[in-house]
Amino acid sequence: MRHAYVFIAPFYVLFLLFGAFPLVWSLILSFQDWDGLRPMKAVGLRNFALLLRDQRFLDAAANTVLYWAVDIVFILTLALFMAILLQGNRLGGKRFYRVVLFLPNVTATVAVGLVFSMLFDFNSGLINSVLQSLGLHGLPWLNSTGLSKIPVMVLNVWRVTPWYMLILLSGLQAINPELYQAAVVDGAGPVQKLVHVTIPSLATVLFFCFLTETIDSFRIFTEPYIMTGGGPGASSLSIVQYLYESGFTVFKLGYASAIGYVLTLMLLVISAAQVFSLRRRGSVVGGGTG
Amino acid sequence: MRGAGRRNPPLFHVLLLLWCLLSVFPLLWMVGTSLKPTSEGIGGLRSMIPGSPTADNYARVAALLPLLRNTLNSFIVASAGTAATVFLCSLAGFAFGKYDFPGRDVLFLFLLATMLVPPEVGIVPTFLIMKRLHWINTYWALIVPRAATAIGIFYMRQYITGFPTEIMEQGRLDGCREFRVYWQLVLPSVTPALAAWATISFIARWNDFMWPLLLMRSREMYTLMVSIAVLPVAEGLSTPWPVIMAGTTIAVLPLICVYFVLQRFQVSGLTLGAVKG
Repeated sequence: MRHAYVFIAPFYVLFLLFGAFPLVWSLILSFQDWDGLRPMKAVGLRNFALLLRDQRFLDAAANTVLYWAVDIVFILTLALFMAILLQGNRLGGKRFYRVVLFLPNVTATVAVGLVFSMLFDFNSGLINSVLQSLGLHGLPWLNSTGLSKIPVMVLNVWRVTPWYMLILLSGLQAINPELYQAAVVDGAGPVQKLVHVTIPSLATVLFFCFLTETIDSFRIFTEPYIMTGGGPGASSLSIVQYLYESGFTVFKLGYASAIGYVLTLMLLVISAAQVFSLRRRGSVVGGGTG
Repeated sequence: MRGAGRRNPPLFHVLLLLWCLLSVFPLLWMVGTSLKPTSEGIGGLRSMIPGSPTADNYARVAALLPLLRNTLNSFIVASAGTAATVFLCSLAGFAFGKYDFPGRDVLFLFLLATMLVPPEVGIVPTFLIMKRLHWINTYWALIVPRAATAIGIFYMRQYITGFPTEIMEQGRLDGCREFRVYWQLVLPSVTPALAAWATISFIARWNDFMWPLLLMRSREMYTLMVSIAVLPVAEGLSTPWPVIMAGTTIAVLPLICVYFVLQRFQVSGLTLGAVKG
């Protein structure tokens, strides 16, 4: 039995050193005013109070919530749709589709971020030249406060959807075909089969996807960093981007740590709400916890 | 769904092919642009195929950035990190899946809970720790902290739980110590899961951006991604798009090649494990 402890020890040792220890240290820092050089100054809750009045932070928080909401709706809907198409396709080519459709998820965010920046470019981008050839005006996608979040979201949906498509496809394959046969006997059409068989059978898998994508999209950093730098102004800035900026550009280390804790708090509240709402509906959290 | 598929196959194919096009198009556009002379326009649908293809942009990128060194850095970090995580995650997954030891369920629940806390929260202290360890600008900083991940252990446990206990018992009767049971009996039987997890890890590490941006502080130690990210400002403030696209092509292509070689191990093996629950 002792072997088992030795076998699992590396994770816990690494987590202690590079997970828990920084987490606790970060909590302590969040109550300090520190630039990394001069002595720390304890300031109680002032960093948190300042955050609530910091328009740049409030913008970043609002942007991040919007990224999360839009991404999760588009990603999960599209992923489910694609998975159903793949599963329903009986003509073959399944392997080809799976390999090609997964490709976006293999590409680096940094690289395709630059590619999408070029496509959304105001002067020479493909998207504006298509708009113009249709007789419409080109739009300043990356350079206006109203539009700058759109390219970031498009990139994220493009890149992440295939991941959930594969997970949902595995979920579909695990559904007992007899359920569909029974539904057909009861006279169900495609829509009723989707609502009454597919989605309920996928409940735990969908929950797993929802939870992991929530965590991931709240941590969005690379997309806005590469495409817009968070701008113009703070119009596409994300929380983690502002955290990074506060910590390593302006060296407000205590303030940055406070931002991190607000992010954690937001995530914990949302995750707890998700688990709670699932429990209330009486489902089993199988996919998430094994 | 099945019924609809049989009745309506052409529609399914059209939709799937459209989505394939959408998946591949930005990449084709990238490669196409990277081959264009900087004097040629990059907008317009008709300019998809470069009029007079040139490799000049690649030469220019190579002159701007220490690309060979950056690629080597990415390769070292990604492969060492992958080897470590495949070994440690499967070992821990084996322990969680096949042993019954006091505290197992609590420890596993704790492990799952760690996934809910974003690692970015500890980014400032992590930097300070790395500095204290003198790991800034070294490969260790990128390899060690994530050598064993919760999600990897979770996937491996899901997969290894199904390994027949009788075979383990037989191995023990034959005098195998526990580590040899894992190494000689369990590992060979779960190679699809190992390969799938290795593929996912390698992709994630190759594409990783924030941590190398933070922890690698010289052009020579940059990974490919960090190096590419500075391309737009590398030539004054406006590097031409074709030159940038040459850089991104170099960053993306090796991984796509690896992916095509390894695609038969795709994540399906693992995701199935996650779903089986």
